[in-house]
Amino acid sequence: MKRQYFAGVDIGSTMTKVVIMDGSTLAAVIGPTGPEHRKLANRVMEEALDKAKLAFDEITYLVATGYGRINVPFADKQITEISCHARGVGHLLPAARTVIDIGGQDSKGIKLKAGRAVDFVMNDKCAAGTGRFLEVTAEELGVSLEDMGRLSLEAKNRVEISNTCTVFAAQEVVARLSDGVALPDIIAGLHEAIATRVYGMVRRLKIEREVALTGGGAKNIGLVKAMEAKLGFPVLVPPEPLLTGAIGAALLGKDLVEKAAEKGETLKTSPRRLTEASLFT
Amino acid sequence: MTEEKKPEERKKRRTATEAASKIGPMVKEAIGGTVRAREEGKPLAYTFIVCAYDEIIRAMDVVPVWTENYAGICGAKRDAQRFLERAESENFSRSLCTYALCGLGFDAWREELGEMPPEAPWGGQARPDMMLGSGQILCDPRNKWYQAAQHYMPDVPIYDVGLPWPLYESDYDYRDVQDYYVKYIVKELKGLVEFLEKHTGKKMDWARLEELVDLTDRTWDLIWEAYELRKAVPTPMGTGDAMNTMVPMVFMMGTQQAYDYYKDLYDELKVKIANKEGVIPDEKYRLIWGGGLPSWFALTDFNYFNSKGAVFPVETTYRMIEATYNFDMDLSKIKDPLEHIAWRWIKFWTYWHDKARKRPGSHPDVERLIKYIEDYKIDGIVMHEAFSCRTWHVGLIWQLNMLKKVYRDMPSLILESDIIDISSYNEADTRARIDAFIDTLQAVKSR
Repeated sequence: MKRQYFAGVDIGSTMTKVVIMDGSTLAAVIGPTGPEHRKLANRVMEEALDKAKLAFDEITYLVATGYGRINVPFADKQITEISCHARGVGHLLPAARTVIDIGGQDSKGIKLKAGRAVDFVMNDKCAAGTGRFLEVTAEELGVSLEDMGRLSLEAKNRVEISNTCTVFAAQEVVARLSDGVALPDIIAGLHEAIATRVYGMVRRLKIEREVALTGGGAKNIGLVKAMEAKLGFPVLVPPEPLLTGAIGAALLGKDLVEKAAEKGETLKTSPRRLTEASLFT
Repeated sequence: MTEEKKPEERKKRRTATEAASKIGPMVKEAIGGTVRAREEGKPLAYTFIVCAYDEIIRAMDVVPVWTENYAGICGAKRDAQRFLERAESENFSRSLCTYALCGLGFDAWREELGEMPPEAPWGGQARPDMMLGSGQILCDPRNKWYQAAQHYMPDVPIYDVGLPWPLYESDYDYRDVQDYYVKYIVKELKGLVEFLEKHTGKKMDWARLEELVDLTDRTWDLIWEAYELRKAVPTPMGTGDAMNTMVPMVFMMGTQQAYDYYKDLYDELKVKIANKEGVIPDEKYRLIWGGGLPSWFALTDFNYFNSKGAVFPVETTYRMIEATYNFDMDLSKIKDPLEHIAWRWIKFWTYWHDKARKRPGSHPDVERLIKYIEDYKIDGIVMHEAFSCRTWHVGLIWQLNMLKKVYRDMPSLILESDIIDISSYNEADTRARIDAFIDTLQAVKSR
């Protein structure tokens, strides 16, 4: 029997992620999402195929997810990021019952049962409580995003950032710097502010252990610690927290193919062609 | 100039029932009627919905100008922004009730011009001869809106009717205090009658008022019976339509027209059920609109739910009636019309108290949700948090949490936007949330 490969493409607001799986992950590529989703999706897909040493037509089924999922012309199916994250976390961390995803421009909480999403909450209205909050404030502080987590662990006397509005919080940060407050204390305050917002939202779900933390936010150790402090227990973080959506997408594609096969059906797929972005397609 | 902005054109929303499709022209005619009434010199009053004075103003031949309705129309026509901006430029905060802001912006503009603002939706909101506040628990615009409007119309008198009801406490029976509430409300309504008599120069026709009170009771019962028909599978009518069919319930109560409308709706639903004609042919998910006023500019979201196989057989919003024969008292025995109105008011607002007391930790609003979830075979709950309306939206999340705690867990979706401020709305994000919600419903149903 011909070997089957499944691809998941997750176009988030900040990063585009592609994984190719045959059961386990063969290749994974992460690239920044630009204004031209389709072009980027093509490039990242090509890179992933190269890594997996596969030709595009060897991909059995491809599922796109994320907020840019409709801009993946070669996808066989689009599935919401809630379902894909749930499936991905369910696969990577089977003990997880709640997922907290802190992405570039939104954050969400997902309740899991048997690896499927049964309830969710989302914040896509306000940058506070998302990665964007840190991005804006990091710029004001002159610190790279990557360094923020490490720096915050050096905090001795965390300050409280009272503004929940990202724009005003950035101003507050500048004011604190002028007051001579130590950088780590400010950054720890920013993490605390995000964790408070996210926790306030996710607790609507009746948080159940274990809790998995995913998305770009989970790569920030300071934010992870702040979330753990809010929750009062440690969280689980997958090895690459940016990839859970793409992994879930690939696995849901696999599920669909297997379900169809059980019924003796074959799923319709899109042409395996990486078309250039056009205003008219 | 912001005041010259043109409204964004919208396509008409698809309705499932003939009755719902009649509402647009009815409201347009009603609003046009107020403008004509002004020209004819009839007495006009600014009025609030769910005010308990419907029959009183009808019996006194006072023409109601439903200010919340007009703001909603501006929102639905996506033409509220210029009035909101006008109110903001008058120093009203954008975080106040946007119905009130829209109305105040409109009034300020109309009074400045001495005529309707240019291209005012459906001919505009007519200048009143009086303004009738309807103070209710929490909703401060019901008192403050008209007081603020008086800045622009200092010659227009106000009468505020206080309409309290006993709040729920698990450890006491509201019946212990209900008489005091009724007494208070009757006094308030008597004051209103005197006010209207003074400003219209006309005496109350008490026999006519009695007739209208009876007509309203019968209309309540009929609405309840018609809405109960929506329990059918497939449901013949969804919440999208109910956001239209509520119009006679809240803007035409105490009129034969309202009664006849619901008779037609009842008959239409019966036929649809007999023909197994649902809102959509393949009903997969049955949802409850569990609270929150809708975004009037985005009612097509209900059609979007439908396109995903989801229907709303029931909602708590704008279901401002109960069957009067289900009350724990025989309302028909209360002959005095003002007392009758007061008792109907109290019994409506306390209707779910007894049920809540039977379930530890519950609340009347939660009991109502539970009853509807069971009766209408509901799979998931959708709520809308409209940022500018505290009255109807504070506590929604709490209700949802309580529902899950005292009853059972179920997929839920919180939409976030506003009643008429379109700047709070993002169609792509809203629909992405709806997609995700449908996924969770599917996951739960396939378990």
